[in-house]
Parts: sequence; C-alpha cells; structure tokens
Amino acid sequence: MSIKRPDGPTFRDLGQHDQDVVKAALKSGATRREVMGWLMASGATIGMAGSIVTSASDALAATPKKGGNMRFAWDLHGPSDTLDPILFTSSLDYGRGRIHYNNLCRFNEDLTVGPELATEWEANSTATEWTFKLRKGVEFHDGSKFTADDVVFSMMRHIGEESPSKAKVLVATVSEWVKIDDHTVKAVLNAPNAELPIILGTFHFKILKNGTTDFQNPTGTGPFTLKEFKPGVRSVHERNDNYWNDAHEGPYLDSIEAFGITDSVARVNALIAGDIQMCANLDPKAIGQVEDAPNAEVFAVPSGRYPTITAMMDKEPGNNADFRMGIKHLQRRDRVLKVVQKGVGTFGNDQPVGPAYGAGWCEAANDPNTYPYDLDKAKHHLAKSGLSGAEIHVAEVFPGMTDICLMLQREASKVDFDLQIKKVPNDGYWGAVWMKKPMNVSSWNMRPSAQIMLTLTNKSDAPWNEAAWKNERFDQLLEMSAGELDASKRAEMMCEAQKLCATESGSLIPTHAAYMDAKATNLTGFPRVPVAAFGGMEWPEYVGYTS
Amino acid sequence: MTDTSATTPTEEPGKTIYDELPDAPPKKRLRLSWVGKISAFVVVFWVFVALFGTWLTPYSERDYIEEDRTGEFFDDPTFMVPNAEISSYLGTDYTGRDVFSRIIWGARTTIGISFAATLLAYFVGITLGIAAAVAGRWIDAVLSRIVDAILTFPNIMLGLIVIAAFSGQVFFNPISDAIILLVGLAGLVYAASVFRIARALGQDIMVQDYVEAARARGEGLWWIITREVLPNAAMPLATDFGLRLVFVILFISSLSFLGLGVPPPIADWGSMVRENLSGLGNGFFPREGTINAGALASVAPALAIASLTIAINLIVDDISAQSGGSLAKKMV
Amino acid sequence: MMWNMILRRIGVGIVLIWVVSILIFVLTQVLPGDAAQIRLGQNATPETLAALRKQMGLDLPLYVQYFTWIGNLLTGDMGISNAGGATISSLIGNVIGNTAFMAAIVTAIAVPLSVVLGLIAAMYPGQLLDRVITSGTLGLIAVPDFFVAIFLILFLGVQLGWVPAVSYLSGTESFWQSLYVLTLPIATLVIVVSAQMIRMTRAGILNVMGSPYIEMAILKGVPRRRIILRHALLNAIGPIVNVIALNLAYLVSGVVIIETVFAYPGLAKLMVDGVQTRDIPLVQACGMIFCCTYVILILVADIASIASNPRLRHPK
Repeated sequence: MSIKRPDGPTFRDLGQHDQDVVKAALKSGATRREVMGWLMASGATIGMAGSIVTSASDALAATPKKGGNMRFAWDLHGPSDTLDPILFTSSLDYGRGRIHYNNLCRFNEDLTVGPELATEWEANSTATEWTFKLRKGVEFHDGSKFTADDVVFSMMRHIGEESPSKAKVLVATVSEWVKIDDHTVKAVLNAPNAELPIILGTFHFKILKNGTTDFQNPTGTGPFTLKEFKPGVRSVHERNDNYWNDAHEGPYLDSIEAFGITDSVARVNALIAGDIQMCANLDPKAIGQVEDAPNAEVFAVPSGRYPTITAMMDKEPGNNADFRMGIKHLQRRDRVLKVVQKGVGTFGNDQPVGPAYGAGWCEAANDPNTYPYDLDKAKHHLAKSGLSGAEIHVAEVFPGMTDICLMLQREASKVDFDLQIKKVPNDGYWGAVWMKKPMNVSSWNMRPSAQIMLTLTNKSDAPWNEAAWKNERFDQLLEMSAGELDASKRAEMMCEAQKLCATESGSLIPTHAAYMDAKATNLTGFPRVPVAAFGGMEWPEYVGYTS
Repeated sequence: MTDTSATTPTEEPGKTIYDELPDAPPKKRLRLSWVGKISAFVVVFWVFVALFGTWLTPYSERDYIEEDRTGEFFDDPTFMVPNAEISSYLGTDYTGRDVFSRIIWGARTTIGISFAATLLAYFVGITLGIAAAVAGRWIDAVLSRIVDAILTFPNIMLGLIVIAAFSGQVFFNPISDAIILLVGLAGLVYAASVFRIARALGQDIMVQDYVEAARARGEGLWWIITREVLPNAAMPLATDFGLRLVFVILFISSLSFLGLGVPPPIADWGSMVRENLSGLGNGFFPREGTINAGALASVAPALAIASLTIAINLIVDDISAQSGGSLAKKMV
Repeated sequence: MMWNMILRRIGVGIVLIWVVSILIFVLTQVLPGDAAQIRLGQNATPETLAALRKQMGLDLPLYVQYFTWIGNLLTGDMGISNAGGATISSLIGNVIGNTAFMAAIVTAIAVPLSVVLGLIAAMYPGQLLDRVITSGTLGLIAVPDFFVAIFLILFLGVQLGWVPAVSYLSGTESFWQSLYVLTLPIATLVIVVSAQMIRMTRAGILNVMGSPYIEMAILKGVPRRRIILRHALLNAIGPIVNVIALNLAYLVSGVVIIETVFAYPGLAKLMVDGVQTRDIPLVQACGMIFCCTYVILILVADIASIASNPRLRHPK
C-alpha cells in the first residue's frame, strides 16, 4: 500500500481559479452550506471545505464597520499571563501584545516584513550594523511621544546574561543598540545577521515606553488601550482613537475582552452560543459542530506548523537505523491527516519544511514514496534492528498528538513490536521530558523562512536539535545557502538539505497542519500570516463586524 | 462531589420497636425488595461483563474499526453510525474505535480499579481505625489528627498534586504505573473516611455489653476484635463499602475528565465520556441525513456509569433499610 | 460543660490548621520541575534558566522558604507569584469574590430547597412523592457532575440559547444580570449539592423518628407532621448542619470541574493553574484557604450541633 495524494482539493491545490469559482458562487447568492456541499461532494473534508469558503467570503466582505465589543477566548490562561513582552509565553500573551503594543517591523502574509514603528531600515555591507529610521508623530497611550530612547530601552532588555528574555537566542549576536538621533537607532552586531528585521517582527520585540517597570498597567503605542488586566481572569482593551496608522480606517472595534477557556468543548459551545466571537485553537473534532452552527465558521490558515515524534539519535533505540526506518514505515500519514486533522493540513515527509513555505519548500523532498506505510518493510527493519519494544513519552502538545502515537502503537502491534505510550502531563513537559527521554514528541510553530526552521531544529549545534541528528553535509548546505545570492542555487541547496533531513533524521513528521480556529461569521478583516493562530495574531487593528 | 450522601440508613415504616434494641443481633438473612433485586441483577451483570466480557467483544479496546474488520478505509471513520454488518453495535468513537467493545473493556478497567481502590481504602482504613479504637488514647490522637488534616484537603486537589508529583516515575510500564498510582491515590484518599467510620464503630462496640462481658471473661484483644468487633461492624461496613465504591468511580471519572485518569488507549468509562464530548455537541445540530452517532459515543458510557452507581446505591438503601440497628447510625 | 466543649473544639481546630500548614508545605515541595523551567518552556537555555531562577529566589534553602512563608502568612502577606510576578493576594483577590458569590447564591438556593424537600420526603416515607424525590436524587448523585454540566450547557445554552454557555462576568453587571450569566453553573451546583443534602435531611429525620421519645409521641397520638416539625427536625439539626458545612466547603474548593466547564474564574481553578505552572506560593496560599475554610465550617457545624443538643445545653 502506498500513500496517494487525496483526489479532492487540498489547501495547496486551492489556486486562484478555485477561489474565484467559490467567490463567484457566493456572489451569485449561493449559501455557505451549498458551496460547502459542492466542495465536499468533490472530495473535500468538511474542515477543508469550511475554511475554503471562509477565506473566499472574507475576501468578498465589505470593509468592517466601526464599533462593537468583541470577546476573544484562547485555550490557556493563568496566573502567569503577562504584559511584559520579553516574558510572553502563550499565544494569548502574543495576542495581547499585538493589541497593546507595536513592533519595529511587522509580517506580511507572504512572510516578508514591512514597516511598522520603523519606516525604513538598512544594513551595512556585512550585515553587522543595522540602522532603523523611526516613524514620527507616534504617541503612547499616555500621550508621550515615541522616540529612539524607547526603542533602545525595549531592545536592550533582551540583551545580557541576566536577561530573562525568552527570545534572547534570536538576538544573541546583537551586542548593542545605539541612539543616533531622536528618530534613528542603530543595532551593532558581533556577527552578521541578514534576517534581523524578520526577527524584530516576532512576538517578543514589542516597543515599550522608556523606563517601564510596571507591567500591570504598561503604556504602549498599539491600536487599543488597556482598561483592565487580571492575569488568569481577563483583560479589557478599548479602542485607541489616537492610533497612528492612517493606512486604513482601523482599529474598528470599540473594545476587546481577552481571556481563556481551557476546556475545548466549553470554548466551542461559547462561540456557538454567541458568548464569544473568536475561539482560538479549534479541536479538529469540533469542526462539524462549528460548521453546522449558523453563526460560526472555521478559520484556518495553511501553515508549516507540525507535530513530531522524535527518536533521539544519540540514545537507544534512536541510534539504530533499522529501528528508525521500521517506525517510519509504520506511520499511516494519510490516516493521521484524515482522522486527527480532519483533512485540514498537508502530507508530511519527516522534514520540517511544508508547502506553506512557498518557494522555500522542496516538492522533491516530499515524495510520498520515501517511507510509505508498509507493514512488510516495517517488520523487516524492526526484526533486523534486534529490538522488541520501545517507549514514547507523549504529552498533548499538539491537538491529537496522543491519538497520532496511539495509531502508531496499533500499527506496531500488527508486526509484533511492543511500542509503549507513556502519557505525561503538559505541565513540566518541556523541561523534564522533551530532548531528555529517548523517544518524545514535540510541536513546532511555523518560522518565517525555511532557512530559520531548518537551522533551529536540525543543525548539529542547534540547542533545539531535538533528534540529536548530526550531518556535516546538512550543516554545510545551511551555511552555504545563507551566503548564496543566486535564488535558484539557493533553492537547490535547500532542496538537498530537506531531502537529507527527510531520509536520515530521527524525526517523524506525519503531517503539516494548518492553524485552525473558529470565529463568528460576522467578524471579518483577518490577515493570514501563518506564524501563529488567527493569522499570526495580526488581527487587532484590522478586524471588525460586517453588520 | 463530597462523600456525605446517604451513609445514614433510612428506615422503612412498619418496623417493630424491637429492631431498635441496642443488643438486637444483625439480621442474617437479607430479603431484597424488587427494586433491590433488579439492582442486584444490574450489578451482577456488570461484574460478569467485567470478568468475562472482553472475550466476547468484536473488537479490542485498541482496534481501529475499519482495517481490523473489513480492510476497508472509510472516508471518515469517526462517529460512524451503528452498523451490524461490521459488528459495530453502538457506532464508533472520535477516532474510529468501536464504542460497544470499548464499553465492555471499560467495565473491566473502571470496575477493577474502583474495586481495588475501595478494597485498599478498607484495608488501610479498617486496620488503622479499629487499631485507634482498641488501642486508645495516644495512637488514636495521632492517627485522628493526621486523618483530619487529610480530610481538610479537597479530593481533586490532593489527586492533582499527587499525580503531578509521581507521574515522572517509571516502575513497570506506563499503563500499569498509572493504574497503580490511581488505585493507591483513591485508596488512600478514601481510607481517611473509612478510618473515621471504623473508629466510630469500633469505639461503639468496645463499650457494648457483650464486649465487656468478653473482657470480663479475660479474652485477649485479638479475640475481641475478630470475634466480637468485626462481625458486629460487618453489615454497616458492607453497605458503606458500596457507597464508597460509587464515590471512587465518580472520583476516578473526575480525574479522567481533567486528563489525569487512566491513560489511553485503555478504555474507561469516565475518559470515554470525556473524549467523545465533542460528539455530543454535534447531536444538537445534526447534519442533514445523518443520525447522531457522536452523542451515542458519549452518552452510552455515561449511562454505564449511572446504571452501575445507581444500582449499588439502591442495594445499599435496601440493605440498610432492613438491617437497621443503632450501630449503623454511627456511620456518618 | 457546653462552653468547655466549644473551647476544646476551637483549640483542636487551631492545632489542625497548624498540622495542615506543614502538610501543605511538604506536599508542594514534592512537585517535580521548577517554576523557572516551566515559565521558559520549550525556549529554555541553561543561561536564561539560571538567570530566572535567581530572580525568583528558587535557589534559597527549603527551611528558609518555609519560615519566610509562614511568617509572612501570619502578617497577611501571601507573597509573590513565581509565575507572573503579581502578588498572590492580588491574584486571589481577583477571583475570591467570584467564588464567594457563587457559593453564597448556591447555598441560598440549595439549603432551603434541600431541607424542605427532605422534610417532605420524610413526612411521607414510602409514598409516591418520597419515591420521586429519593429516586431522583439517587440518579443525580450517581451521574458525574461534568455530565450534568455539559448536558445543561448544550440544551439550555447552545440549543435553546436561553442563557449564556460560559460564565463570563465583566464586572459591570448588576446583581440580577450576574445571576442570569451564572444561571447554568448555579443550576448545576444546586442540583449536585441538593441531591446530597436532601437525602441526608430525610435520613437524619427518619433516624430520629426511630428514637424512643418519638415512639412515645406517636403512641400518644401526636400527628406525624407535628412530630417532625416540632421534635424530629430540632434533633436532626446536628447531622443536617454537618452536611451543609461539608457541601459549603465543597463549593469553595471542590468545584474545579464546574469552573473549568463554564470558564468561571474561581479559587479552585486558580489552584489547579498554580499546580500546573508549579507556582508554589500560589498553591500553598490556595491550599491554606481551602483547609482553613473546611476547618472553620466544620467547627461552626460542631458548635451548632452542640448548641442544639438539649442534653449538652442543660447538663444534668
């Protein structure tokens, strides 16, 4: 048996043409349900059909109207909620960051970066000095002017041994930020970094007011001002009518209330009952329930996010090549995609880069025949490995992670291989289990580029090289491609790197998932940046009600 | 839930006053009402299922329905409607396993764990409780304070902390580790309540005439415990055992609800309700032309829990209504 | 004699609270992992970890941590959250009102309801009304509380849309609006708690009905209703108050599942979050609140039953 690409439409196949067809149908008065029915008749799963229609109808919707209160529920919250950007942990923190603050640069939907509080920037020829011109006329919520001092203060908090910043590694090469004049700053690096502006677009690099120490009620420049913040209870934000961005009419909403509903069933119920308008991290099991409700819809953004089962290659049994191959042949990737992810996602071939990376993705490295589901081959390799069993430590770090492992366990039992699943709680998982137990699981968000993703997860000396995979050629390719200016040569190198990763690393990546959330039908305007839930959490200043 | 429910026996009207005499011997023969008989049948049925049912199911608790029976790959194997052709009598669950088979396998897990935990609670609770009653002052005071301190903790909180503390340890294999931890946890939590009952009963019996008579005859402590105290405490303790079993079943279901219970893929009724809850939601908005199998996957195990716990409760009611006697009043 | 007994009970209560404080401290120390590690999650590196540990004071010896904690607790200072840096008192302050409000409302509804239904059942034992009440409560006791909650949400909240499915209070609601928002958790808790209390009230009264002086009253021909209201109820107060106290304690500390299902920010959920983020000071503070609540409620129940017992009130 081999893995066939499903016949129906997938996200990746959804080209401009299909979108146009769906749009035309919606324009001519077809209901959401009808269009979904057509898509499902041609083989799309309900989740896929729902998100296709959502994206098409979003594109059709008129500009949002001003006004209205909106409630946003994330899946986690607790006493550790914070408004201190360098300590942001959960996506609820990221969301609040986007509501309350601005970055120097922000992501576009194609993962390039555009201006935000910085209007333009340039590097010296060796990329060891970056100069940023700052936007003029921006005011903080307390009325004070935004200047270079604020940038230097905010950025220096990530630097130094004592800094508890979670994003410290990303700017480890930056030695200093210097004020040139009131609206110009310079970053001095001790090693070249061509991607600094991309890094500055990520969640932790928010701009605070110079000297901020009180993070119960900090001031920011963002589209909403803070009215109330109670960690683990809620935060309330009101529209900043003095917002600097004149490029559009937003922010539209009068106010946003952000809080957590940990129970996934309760969260979906709240959305359908109309108590909340945005429900983050939709459990794929609930897609049907959301699509069948009249006032709610699935909001999915295809991405390179993925779940992985890792056999660490420096320990038993991951150091056994036959064991790794046997396990890879046991994975039913099509079934994971269909049952666990309800068809919303793409085939994964044990390497971190998925089709959502666009040009960075190498189709040849994603050949479904690399390690097809094949019990005979699996049996052969596992017998040859000389092992009779193994144990995976599993926490639910990705929706359906346990089920993915259980499916693998079931297949293993068919070839008389004793694969034990040790379920452990999520809390404490990253410190006590991940990268410590010989076989463990993890979940990765998409990164802005294939280069960053591969470096982060698979480079021999990367701190998060979770499979402990060491391959000289792979490292060489990464370093060469970073300095390569010719796009086609660069793509060639990336392709070879991805192929190496797919065939040799100890990671098992069955699928690439979409970010899947659910929202009220009458809420529109969401950008679709695939680096986090709800379009990269870029929504606050763009979203509003249609009616 | 707090464990304060009807541990005091209710009394039927029409009883003679003689049943209330402190020295009336416990009735030896039990005559159950028809409600009690039906309940007893339900309990016996579940015990039978728990013991032998797993040999008779079409699937195992781990089987995914399609390839294991038909080799066919269903388009969406989750929440399928009941289909006798593939021996799926209650449909499939959220990940495509047979609900009917899993309920039967779950009977073994749920009843087994709860029974083991209750036995443990009784063993520890009665041993220490009677010891406290018989040995008196010093041991009694220390044991009672410790038990009181444990009882001040909410059960679920205690469970959460203990499970968080021990879940990193590996002894045998993941599943038996988790089950041993659950049995130990529930057993110790409820041993505290059993201790109080056993101690009260023991103290009460120690001052009864027949015990004092035995003492006067010069019988040893051990003789008094085994010949006088235990036989007289047996009936109230037996009824309490039933109720305690119900609390343990609900306690373990609650832990499963919080994701701390029996680990997958082992079926237990509490986790089955929990993992299929999203199917219940679908039930209220069924897509056109579909029967709602999702609701079944969640409601069926809930009914299994309820049928067993209600039946046990009814039997306990029946027994305590008939076996009266002043001792039972000390049970709270 | 009565006052002696009451003073003795209070003394025992204080000792118990002290034992509990040690127990809580020991229990929280066995939690694996530390707050710094959990806070940094997947992104932890040895340097950031060390920096954060030092900043949070996790490198101090244990006994220093215990004495600091108990000393501060006595002066009303519950410390700083390991996880978020906010003060524990502010975190608890954020939610304690919610917990108290819910517990008060549920008690206000459930206690009279249970006593009345329990009395009715006890007045007509074996008759239809009694059978309906006893079998109904039996059924509710036997079903897991989360199932009751989910069923109410789906039926009343989602399908019929009569009441909100989550209990989200923005703090600006009037009393009646708050009640409306909290309809479902209140209903669930009233159902769960009343089922227990009804059965205990009925059992307590029937128990007293078997005692010799009631038999005497029956033989004298006093009507059953009068016996129950005048004699039996007064004498059953002890056990009934005890059950009410236990249920109140449950409403403060045991409602984790209800708070989770309805996304209602209360104390129990705060403690669960604390355990999960290894926020030791928070877990300790919540644990102390729960245990003290329990001890105080049981103490009050004890005193009430002593005070209502004529034999103790008027010693021979």
